[in-house]
Amino acid sequence: MDSSTTPPIGAITTENAQLDVTLEQLKKLVSPRAFTGETMLLNMGPQHPSTHGVLRLLLELDGETVISCVPDIGFLHTGIEKTHEGKTYLKGVPLTDRTDYLAPMINNLAYCGAIEKLMGIEVPLRAQYIRVILAELTRMNSHLVWLGTHALDIGAMSMFLYCMREREDLLDVFELVSGARMMSSYFRPGGLWRDVPPAFFDLVKKVLDVFPARIIEYERLLKENPLWKERTIGVGVISKADALAFGMSGPSLRGSGVNYDVRKAFPYSSYDHFDFNVPLGSNGDVYDRYRCRLDEFPQSLRIIKQALDRLPEGPVMTDDRKIAPPPKHEIGTSMEALIHHFKLWTEGFSGPNADVYFAVESGKGEYGVYVHGDGGPKPRRLHFRAPSLCNLQALPRMAKGALIADLVGIVGSIDIVLGEVDR
Amino acid sequence: MDNILEVLKFINNLMAFVFDEIGKFITGLLGKGPGTELVLMILAAIGLITFGAVTMMALTWFERKIVARIQDRIGPNQAGPFGLMLPLADGVKMLTKEDITPANADRWVYLIAPIMIAAFAMTSLAVIPFAPRVAGVNLDIGAFFYIAIGSGSTIAILMAGWGSNNKYSLLGAFRTVAQLVGYEVPMLLNVLPVIMLSGSMSLFDIIAKQTDAPGGFGLPFILFLPVSALVFLISGIAEVGRSPFDLMEAESEIVAGFHVEYSGMKFALFMMGEYVNAAVVSIMFSTFFLGGFAGPIFIPPYVWFLAKAFSIFFIFMWLRGTLPRVRVDQLVNLNWKFFVPLSIINIIVVMVMSKLFVTFPAQPGLFVVSPLVYMAIMLVSGLGLLGLALTLASRSARRERLAIAQEAAEHRVANQAFATAQTGK
Amino acid sequence: MNWKTTFRKLTRIPLGFYTVLQQTLRKPVTVQYPEQTRPMVPRFRGRHHLKRYDNGLERCIGCALCAAACPADAIYVEAGENTNDARFSPGERYSQTYEINMLRCIFCGYCEDACPTNAIVLEPIEFPTGYSREAMIYTKSMLLESPPINVPATPQVTEPGKFDRSIVPFPPIDQQA
Repeated sequence: MDSSTTPPIGAITTENAQLDVTLEQLKKLVSPRAFTGETMLLNMGPQHPSTHGVLRLLLELDGETVISCVPDIGFLHTGIEKTHEGKTYLKGVPLTDRTDYLAPMINNLAYCGAIEKLMGIEVPLRAQYIRVILAELTRMNSHLVWLGTHALDIGAMSMFLYCMREREDLLDVFELVSGARMMSSYFRPGGLWRDVPPAFFDLVKKVLDVFPARIIEYERLLKENPLWKERTIGVGVISKADALAFGMSGPSLRGSGVNYDVRKAFPYSSYDHFDFNVPLGSNGDVYDRYRCRLDEFPQSLRIIKQALDRLPEGPVMTDDRKIAPPPKHEIGTSMEALIHHFKLWTEGFSGPNADVYFAVESGKGEYGVYVHGDGGPKPRRLHFRAPSLCNLQALPRMAKGALIADLVGIVGSIDIVLGEVDR
Repeated sequence: MDNILEVLKFINNLMAFVFDEIGKFITGLLGKGPGTELVLMILAAIGLITFGAVTMMALTWFERKIVARIQDRIGPNQAGPFGLMLPLADGVKMLTKEDITPANADRWVYLIAPIMIAAFAMTSLAVIPFAPRVAGVNLDIGAFFYIAIGSGSTIAILMAGWGSNNKYSLLGAFRTVAQLVGYEVPMLLNVLPVIMLSGSMSLFDIIAKQTDAPGGFGLPFILFLPVSALVFLISGIAEVGRSPFDLMEAESEIVAGFHVEYSGMKFALFMMGEYVNAAVVSIMFSTFFLGGFAGPIFIPPYVWFLAKAFSIFFIFMWLRGTLPRVRVDQLVNLNWKFFVPLSIINIIVVMVMSKLFVTFPAQPGLFVVSPLVYMAIMLVSGLGLLGLALTLASRSARRERLAIAQEAAEHRVANQAFATAQTGK
Repeated sequence: MNWKTTFRKLTRIPLGFYTVLQQTLRKPVTVQYPEQTRPMVPRFRGRHHLKRYDNGLERCIGCALCAAACPADAIYVEAGENTNDARFSPGERYSQTYEINMLRCIFCGYCEDACPTNAIVLEPIEFPTGYSREAMIYTKSMLLESPPINVPATPQVTEPGKFDRSIVPFPPIDQQA
């Protein structure tokens, strides 16, 4: 499964593509009992407190039992992939912030990694390490939002507030380095926007100090709480085979016991320099997925600690002036710098006529960016392999036979972000 | 010394004194007769409803403040000092909101439901003993009255859920039936031991039995009936539908359940019903198990009354801040498979114990013991019963978990070949 | 199942209750927003400002590189010619029209990166708000910072030859934190 040999996206032919959906086909989504009034059809969402945004679920209910569950997506479709086709490679970075808006830095990393792979450039080691630190902080940020909302769905209200409180510390770090709390756009093709300020290290150390105690608090509230266990163990079970067949990835897949983590399988951004474990579940239920995610907190802290200790000095941007804009002070004195500066910010750099796929492990799973360059400065086609979308495919399987109360737990446990599902 | 005692006694009886004087004044004004009685009753009702409304306002503020502190927030602090005026602001907001009746709603059922729920909640205030000789009405069957009126809110919630013509409301109504009807049974079964020990259904007699008054034990019933107290508290929370048993209005599952279609003052009436019911449950718990308004003389009884009721309400809020919501099948299982059998066995144990041991020679019994020894015997038997029940329950839970793990293991083995083929490992 | 395990199980829930109660003793993290504000970091990407030199001349030379770099196409620049009688900026050209549509702007900071003279800067102050779409299109007069004290505003009358060329090298605005 070498990512460079992945075949390009197959062209869709109009002969076999079914463009019109008939009413008869739609009727097959639910059982015939729904049309006799024997079961109840319920629209859950797109405005529902626990569908994590604008997911719409068409539920067929027998009492409270879910007979069938049909996810309906597209309410947050913003055409990000199409917009990318009109933007130069450099200008695409802010767009990636807005796919999985809870983990912008990881999206930046995936996109920049893909562009770097396309252009064949090497990122300085310091930039790689800082990228790892920030990506792990972003993973924690993503998991904190997941933990809070998941607990809120199941009814543990205080957890949500605690998680949001801890998230502030992480957002402060992002604000410090990039100037924005959420839409950071901090990683650029070739390295980083700027080097981190000195206060960055203090803030990250504070996070490292505070977090272990806070994780213990979360575990006290949920991990051994009998009510929480009753609500999660044995709920929304998906087997290894099914999880793989649905293309699930990330903690949702590892909860079923499949040891697949992009950071280990295809190390990027010098992840192979650090020691960390990948937590694995066994039963594939909501509780195991919860354990997998929660156990990633200490591992993230471990990686951050190692990266901070071994952070090398040096530049944070590649010195290839064909890709990286020159430093401002050179513009007035160097003719070449001036030309590069104007050319990069207007036309952009031209990539080769090639396809690349670059995947990173986001908080939700394998977040891949597929770039199809046409030799010009803009991608011919750009596709995001969004883990939320693939994980959501498994929801109908997991939800079958569950109660409504279980369903909100299952939706929470696969950790979807609708901005990423719909793109 | 005697003077101080006199003053304390006067302060303690202040409430009864004031109400007596009002009664005398009105009687003097109108003369004795059924008309005067009616006027007095209406006055008492107005007083009780005011108490209910003020309680609701105080509790909403108290709850927001406490839950906020639990969650590391400040809570209301903008309206007035410490946000104390927030309930008033809420009231104004509710009154000025648009009053919506959904299309195709069952109009009368929809309109009556909020009035009913508030009315039932207010009615149950009638028997509450606030202080010695102070209550809306001193019924001989006060405990029975409370249980009977308490079930009225079930029908109101069912009406609201059905009348709204909304599927989420309907689901809320389903859950109401499963939850409220079910939890009345353990609630009733755990009032029975209290009645057995005190020998009366009058709430004043129940309180008197827990004091040093002649014939009293001098100790609160919670020490005699730990199992009853625990089950009553939990089923009381379930009965008023508060977290973690707030299934009928679970906002993350069925949005707001039975009151999803209600707005403005109708919604406020639901809130009032809920909070007054919660207050009544805490008051009833303190009456049945903590000795109600009774306490050492240096604190007036009405202060004791409020302090005990608020402590119980604090436990409600604490639970709300800590626990996840239970699922509907777990809720029903907990009720019928654990609480009801436990309560019945508890009744039998209390029955046997109260016939074996008595505190007064005049009563029929085998052994005559002092109240303290009696308490110790009851406490040990109660705790033993609780421990036994919990052990049995956790054993069966473990068996269930093992079965789940077994199933999952079989699943794993079955899929091993497939997974190997997929990952190449 | 022995008594020890049962006991340990029973202590789990009280531990959660204790954790929750512990929080009440902590200082709340709430910030009373309109009265108190959190300090903003130097890099914060807030509202745009058009900077001036110390002598009051505008830094912007109307090259429209910011408009080209903008991923949201929120900037519109129209250049005008400087004369010695009405000089806005050193060099040949200045921005006659400079408009930013704050409703389109995504505050990514690309304009700041692209500006060759460090004329446009996103500063950690003032959040753009308004009641209408028209009010959210910020014109040059709204964006341009006021000149230093005792320095005339633009257009200035300058002696010929002094500012015919732009100031090289472009002096930095501030230490980039």
